[in-house]
Amino acid sequence: MTGLFKTRLQRHLREMAKYLRLVFNDFFVFALLFFLGGLGLGYSNVLKQLHGHEWWAPLVALLVLTIVAQIGRLATLIEDADRVFLLPKERAMHAYLVAARRYSQVIAQATQVIAIFLLSPFLAVTLGWSVTPVLLLLVAQVALKDALLRMDLASAYQVTGQARMNRWPIKWALSLLVLACGLWITPLVAVILAIVADIAVAVWFQQHWQTQQIRWREQIKIEDNRMLGIYRFFNMFTEVPMLSGTIKRRRYLDGIFHLIKPTHEQTYLYLFSRGMARGTEFSGLIVRLTVIGMLLLYFIRGEWLPVILAALFIYLIGFQLLPFFHQYDDIVFTHVYPVAAAQRLKSFVTLMTLILSVTAVLLWIVVVLANQQLLPAVVTLIVEALEVWYLARIYTPQRLKRSAENRA
Amino acid sequence: MALEVSHVVGGYSQIPVLKDISFDVKDGELVGLIGLNGAGKSTTINHVIGLLTPHQGTITLNGVTIDQDSQAYKQQIAYIPETPVLYQELTLREHLEVTMMAYDLDHEKAWATAHKLLKTFRLDNKLDWFPANFSKGMKQKVMIVCAFLTPAKLFIIDEPFLGLDPLAVNDLLNLIEERKRQGASILMSTHVLDTAQRYCDRFVLLHDGQVKTEGTLSELQAALPEAGESLNDIYLSMTKVDRS
Repeated sequence: MTGLFKTRLQRHLREMAKYLRLVFNDFFVFALLFFLGGLGLGYSNVLKQLHGHEWWAPLVALLVLTIVAQIGRLATLIEDADRVFLLPKERAMHAYLVAARRYSQVIAQATQVIAIFLLSPFLAVTLGWSVTPVLLLLVAQVALKDALLRMDLASAYQVTGQARMNRWPIKWALSLLVLACGLWITPLVAVILAIVADIAVAVWFQQHWQTQQIRWREQIKIEDNRMLGIYRFFNMFTEVPMLSGTIKRRRYLDGIFHLIKPTHEQTYLYLFSRGMARGTEFSGLIVRLTVIGMLLLYFIRGEWLPVILAALFIYLIGFQLLPFFHQYDDIVFTHVYPVAAAQRLKSFVTLMTLILSVTAVLLWIVVVLANQQLLPAVVTLIVEALEVWYLARIYTPQRLKRSAENRA
Repeated sequence: MALEVSHVVGGYSQIPVLKDISFDVKDGELVGLIGLNGAGKSTTINHVIGLLTPHQGTITLNGVTIDQDSQAYKQQIAYIPETPVLYQELTLREHLEVTMMAYDLDHEKAWATAHKLLKTFRLDNKLDWFPANFSKGMKQKVMIVCAFLTPAKLFIIDEPFLGLDPLAVNDLLNLIEERKRQGASILMSTHVLDTAQRYCDRFVLLHDGQVKTEGTLSELQAALPEAGESLNDIYLSMTKVDRS
C-alpha cells in the first residue's frame, strides 16, 4: 500500500512539475522577483517605523500564524475508482493514508517554517524576542500543524461518528488557543500544549481506527476539491484539460434570457447565451478580464495608452470566446436538430457582439471617469466600436468557417 | 416508404464498418435493428441521423436525402440516443423549449403534449432541475419526452429498454404504438430480444456489418426452419454459423 502511494505520488509530482514549468516561465519569474523584492522592501520599511511595545503586535502575529497553520491540506491522492477497487483492502489503506500524511507534512511544515522565519524580525522588533523564544514558537507551530494534519487523517475514518474532528471551528480554536498562549504567556506553554494535543489525537486514533470504516465518498470529494483548487490556480496561467468548470443557476439573469424570443431562428442564441452565462469557464473569463481591464484603465492616464489597452482587452476577451462555438459539438443533438449551420453561426455572432459591446461600454466608462477629457473618450469609443464590429461580425464568422472546414 | 437505406458502405474512418447495407422502414412500421455488440447497429443509426456520411449508397427519407435538403431531412427525424446526452447548463424546461424552437413547433400545442408526457414519465415536478441532478433513467426519460414532443415521421431509438424501469418501458411502448397508428415509422436497435419479438413488425439482423437477413418473425422462421421458434433462437443460430 505504501508502494501504491509512492507510485501515485511520482505521477502526481510529474504532473505538478509539468504545470509548474509552464507557470514559472522566464517572464513570470522576473515579475515575481520584482514583486517579492518590493514586498520585502515595504516590510523592512514598516519594521523601521515600529518602536516596539505596540499593543496590537501579538494580535497580528496570532492572526498570521493561525491562518498559516491552516495552510497545507492532507493530500491523499485518492481516486474515484478506489472505492470500488480498494474497498477489499480497506484495512491496508491505513498504511497508505499514513504515507499520505507523511508526504503532506513536507509542504505544510515548510510553509510553517518559512512563515515563522519571515515573522521573526517583526517579533524581535515589537516584542523584543531573542532567538530562543522564536525557536520555541517554531516548535509549537510545527507540532500544532502536525496535530491538525493528524485530525484530518483521523477524520478520514468514521471514528468520530457523524461529527468530524477536523471541522474548521475546531481547528481554528485549537490554533488560536495554542498560539495565544505562546504569544501572551510564554512560547514554552504553547510547545507543551501543542505536543499534548498532538499526542492525544495520536493515541485516540491509534485505539480507534482498526474498528472503523473509511469515509470513501467524502475523502474522494475532499481530494477532488483539493486537486480542483490546484488546477484552478494553474488554469490562470495555462490551459488545464481536467478543468471543465461548474454550472451555476444564476436565476437573476433569467430576466435577460427572457428577452430572447423562443423562435426557430433563435434556437442557438437561447442555448449559447444560457450555456455561456451559467458555465463558470467562459463567464468567469469574461468577468475576470473585464474587471482587470477596468482596474488597469482606472489607474492609467494619457492620450493613447487607454485606447490601446481598452482595445487589447476587448481583443483578448473576443479571441478567447471563439472556442465556445464548439462547446456543444459533442452533443449529438447539435447535429440532429433541423437548424441550419449558418443559423448557428449567426446566433454565435450575435452573442459575441452583445458580450463585447457590454465589455466595451464598461471599459469606456472607466476611461471617461479616469481621464475626464473629451479626446480620449471620443477616440476610445470610435476605436472600440470599430473593433467590436470587426472582431464579432467579420473575423469570427471567417475564422469559425475555416475551423469547421478543417474539422470536416 | 418512409426510410430507405440502399447499398450503404460506411463507417467512422476510411475502413468501412458497414458493408453494403440495404433495408427499409415503411410508414407506420416498427423495425427492430438486431445485432451483437460491434455488429454495426450504432454506425447504421449514425448514418441515418446524418452524423456520418456514407462512402457509397444513399439514405432517403420520404424522398429526401440529407444532401438535397438537410433541414427538410432532419425535420422528419427524432432521435433517442442509447446514452442520454443533455446540455449541462439547461434545465429540463429549457431542454423542452430548445427542442420546440429547433423543430419550429407551436409552443402552446407543444407544451400541452409536453405536460402529458412529463406526467406519464413522472418528471412534471422537475422542470427546473439541471441534468446533473437526474439519475440515468430520468435522463433517458427526458430524451424520450423531447423526442415524442416532435411530430417526427421517423423515430430512431437506440437501445431503449436498458436503464428504464418496467413502468417506463411500458409507457414507451404505448407511445410507440400511438405514433405508429398515426403513421410514423420507428427504427429501434436493441438487445432485448423477447421484447423486440413481441412489439416489432419486422427485423433487420445485422452481423459483422452486413444484413444477415430481414423480415417478419414468420419470414425468419421460414428461412431458418431448424433454428427454433423465438427470435432469440434464430439470432443465436445465425451468429453460431459464423463462429464455427
